[in-house]
Amino acid sequence: MARYGMVIDLKRCYGCYSCVMACKLANHTPPGVFWSRVLRGEMGEYPNSVRQALPVLCNQCEEPDCLKVCPTGATYQTEDKIVRIDKNKCIGCKYCMMACPYGARYTVHEWKSYFPEGLPLSDYEKYSKQAWEEKSGVGVSTKCDFCIDRRAEGKECACVQACPAKARVFGDLDDPESEISYLIKTKRGFVLRPEMGTEPKVYYLPPR
Amino acid sequence: MGSAKLEGQVQMEWRWIIAVYLFLAGVGGGAYLAGVIADFFGGPDWMLVSKIGVFLGMPCVLIGCMFLLVDLGNPVKAWRVWMKPGTSWMARGTIIIVVFMIFAAIHTAWWIWPFPGPLAENESARHFIGIIGAVFAFLTVVYTGLLLGYNQPIALWNTALLPVLFFVSAISTGIMAVMFFGLGLGVGESQLALLAKIDAITMVFELFVLIVFLYNAYRTIESRFSAKRILVGPVASYLWLGVIVCGLVIPFCLELWGGHGIAVTIAALLGLFGGLCLRYTVLAGGTIGAIEAAGFEFARIDRPKDPMPAMGKVPPA
Repeated sequence: MARYGMVIDLKRCYGCYSCVMACKLANHTPPGVFWSRVLRGEMGEYPNSVRQALPVLCNQCEEPDCLKVCPTGATYQTEDKIVRIDKNKCIGCKYCMMACPYGARYTVHEWKSYFPEGLPLSDYEKYSKQAWEEKSGVGVSTKCDFCIDRRAEGKECACVQACPAKARVFGDLDDPESEISYLIKTKRGFVLRPEMGTEPKVYYLPPR
Repeated sequence: MGSAKLEGQVQMEWRWIIAVYLFLAGVGGGAYLAGVIADFFGGPDWMLVSKIGVFLGMPCVLIGCMFLLVDLGNPVKAWRVWMKPGTSWMARGTIIIVVFMIFAAIHTAWWIWPFPGPLAENESARHFIGIIGAVFAFLTVVYTGLLLGYNQPIALWNTALLPVLFFVSAISTGIMAVMFFGLGLGVGESQLALLAKIDAITMVFELFVLIVFLYNAYRTIESRFSAKRILVGPVASYLWLGVIVCGLVIPFCLELWGGHGIAVTIAALLGLFGGLCLRYTVLAGGTIGAIEAAGFEFARIDRPKDPMPAMGKVPPA
């Protein structure tokens, strides 16, 4: 089976937040839910400072702590090692939200519109609400699943497709010939928080 | 490299509701343990103390479980919570508290209420149930520390001291609950005085463990931000006023020098309040550490609770 992962080239990423918006559009996430996020960091002091953007998402760990702490078995790994949540089993205890070293999980207790309360929902919002409740659900834990539905339709992950700098590459880590394996090997790919022992599958290439 | 990790993201998921559960589980387990120990080592004088302790066990934990249910995002499916005890401390804990409640309920029903049952005469059977119940009472108290401690990213909790702290606090608050009810139900003065002394000693231990816990948190770079939040930050008032002053210092003085009656009542109530504050302090102090990458420190893991507070209302026409 394939073992899917992602490489994010920090040298290419300039922090435009396109991936954040693309993810929101593709997955209909309500306000406050960011399956794909961009963090900002600064090193040094002015005038000798450098800024860096760090796009983060669920790392689809090989040994996920969120799966280990889940009391119901709602969190599971698919055959190609993507961590998913069975919304029919999740009870919303929020244990996994605290076990995740990357803050990748979100629980919403009620669906909210982006627009002020009291306004009637537009057709798109109705569709968006329905899509969220069907796929992810309310009162349960939700997170990135490497756009499993889009990939079933033959499309790329929304964040990969949207990235204007081509900083993101999605692929099979088990295939030594794939672009992602090549990049990790030759460009000194690293992962976030390796000390947690969760074996994440989202790799980063150093910014310089 | 960036400077030491100075900030992290405050965990907002488990707050007061879970703190109340942790507190009630501690009180119930601690009171039950105190009751069983009084039954084992006390003579007939200690029967009432023992009965109060055993009686308090089940209802406290049961009320605590109600709080857990309220906190769930999907309480209808709560029965699924013990599906995976192999790896999850929450599943194991659910099994532990259910077994504890069953044994505490049997212990109560056959001994104390609604009428003295078979266990009143048969002491060995009572002790047998007491031992099993006490084991699960101990686990009920301790598993909460392991439950929080399993969360690696929250370095404040990820320490073996947390179960110890919860255990000592549970014993202390359990004895306080027994004293509080014992006063109204007519426990003898000498028993109350001894309970107060034992409780005072427990509180010295609790303070010691708390100091080691916070020192350890401060010396560990990952949890320093948490320690600062607790010691001088937004949670500090709960620690200094709630836990230290109300929960430890005043009850300790009252129990050592205050004598009986009203002083014991005040000491017990303040001490129980302190136990609740301790749980909240530990929960609210929990922060997820900053992510480090390529020499940068990404301190704020942005997860806004209410991203656009200004957009919550319809603008005035």
